[in-house]
Amino acid sequence: MTTEVDSPASPAAGAAAVARRSRRRTHAVLVHTVQAAVLVVLLGGWQLLVQGDQHAIVLYGLPSGIFDRLRSWVTEGTALGSLGSQIWTTIEEALIGFAIGTVLGIVCGIALGRIRFLSEVFGPFIKVLNAIPRIVLGSVFVLAFGLGLESKILLVIVLVFFGVFFNAFQGTREVDRTFIANASILGASRWQVTRQVVLPSAFTWIIASLHVSFGFALIGAIVGEFLGGYAGLGVLIKNAQGTFDASGVWAAMVIMGVVALIAEWLITRLERRLLRWRPAQLSGPDL
Amino acid sequence: MHAPRSGPPGAAIAMRDVTKQFATEGPEPYTALRDLDLEVAPGEFCAVVGPTGCGKSTTLTLVAGLEQPSAGTVRVHGADVSGITPGVGFMFQTDAILPWKTVLDNVSAGPRFRGVAKGAAVSGARDWIRRVGLSGFEDRYPHQLSGGMRKRVALAQNLINEPRILLMDEPFSALDVQTRAKMSDELLSLWELTRPAVVFVTHDLEEAIALADTVVVLTAGPAATIKARFAIDLPRPRVVQEIRFERRFVDLYQQIWDALRTEVDLAYAQTTRISGEAGA
Repeated sequence: MTTEVDSPASPAAGAAAVARRSRRRTHAVLVHTVQAAVLVVLLGGWQLLVQGDQHAIVLYGLPSGIFDRLRSWVTEGTALGSLGSQIWTTIEEALIGFAIGTVLGIVCGIALGRIRFLSEVFGPFIKVLNAIPRIVLGSVFVLAFGLGLESKILLVIVLVFFGVFFNAFQGTREVDRTFIANASILGASRWQVTRQVVLPSAFTWIIASLHVSFGFALIGAIVGEFLGGYAGLGVLIKNAQGTFDASGVWAAMVIMGVVALIAEWLITRLERRLLRWRPAQLSGPDL
Repeated sequence: MHAPRSGPPGAAIAMRDVTKQFATEGPEPYTALRDLDLEVAPGEFCAVVGPTGCGKSTTLTLVAGLEQPSAGTVRVHGADVSGITPGVGFMFQTDAILPWKTVLDNVSAGPRFRGVAKGAAVSGARDWIRRVGLSGFEDRYPHQLSGGMRKRVALAQNLINEPRILLMDEPFSALDVQTRAKMSDELLSLWELTRPAVVFVTHDLEEAIALADTVVVLTAGPAATIKARFAIDLPRPRVVQEIRFERRFVDLYQQIWDALRTEVDLAYAQTTRISGEAGA
């Protein structure tokens, strides 16, 4: 986002700029106030509706219970060990799988997008693989590779790969032909065209898929842990579910949410860095 | 058909009996060019004019080696064209400079692609950026430049490779009239520096006469071919904005327009399908 440069040429212009700025600030305060109010109403309503009924507390959990559970996890550790190591286990699975799946997706997408023969041969296979519900593969991986890190990473790779692959493939095919012709005439080899024309151009598509894919990576890691594992947030959730500890399930979800938000922020940073050649986007609400 | 001839030994570009067809959805291929003969001498500035859709751009893609002729031969400096022609520069009608590279990276791209060391490529690029009047804009991205500035970048990007042939496909058509005249003047002075043979495609006859040594008129498509060829004997150096008031310019314009008019009418009738009823 560009910020307006205020260089008041005259007192009148200066006053106008100040007025504009204070209007913007008032607006921002209003937005944040309403947001806080929505949060208070939601959490407060939940607390008030549920807290009188022991039966409902077991079923739905309580905001205060979630907070207590989080505090005890942080101070006393979980049944599986320290909270940090559970979070790190899940993040590690998600990150390794995300990295491998993304790289594979980009490489395969660009290769199939550039080389017609490959896309003719492998197109049908990829369509079939994409059509099956891949989450089920998690069971296969747990059976084949055991309860450790590998089975979760494989599940994450499978979930991440396709989204990135299809975007990289489409992005490769949408590259402006003029850019390719121009680079070729300037002396670029086929590899140089791929590296310096196709890849940067397809990156607008690929980056868009990364936002969604990291969500899939977390889902893959957690579901993998559900299906069988020794450690991680998924196991924590599963245990909490098994002991009728709704607050524990919610607490793990809150932690996942924080992790996802941090990842989203990092990906947006990466996006800004890689796509800084693009003109500033037309402004609208950022979500 | 006559036996294949070879062009005069010195010709920069020699196209002989060139036919170019494109596959279409239907059973019949679309014939863009038929039996086209075109010769351009080294250092000659040749403008190609013709109505819209007559295959002007196709001619350029054949010389550049982006497309292969369906029949006939295309020779550049005596060698048959197969694949991208070496020693050729191409300015496209739309922006073709890479939007994710800065001005400096765009201009130095050609030498870098060709294996020139980074330092040498960058200092060469700075020279060319200065020559096209963009000093100080080296670190800008294309979207931060005006249309005319992007054309200058494209020009520098091509000329840094010192092409012996420069192909230009209505390069200035997207610019406003004043910027266009300025760019034309600058093109001529830059052309004088390295003197490549130029094939300049345009639909603007005034621009063609002001710039070129030779104006070639194409017939209306499909199956376009060369209708006439005119030598432009106006003295150089020329000032594009002023030359059109000269007596000789007006004479030439009338002569060439006589040849072009019937083709333009024909092309217009084809696109609007009014030839039968209106008889215009």
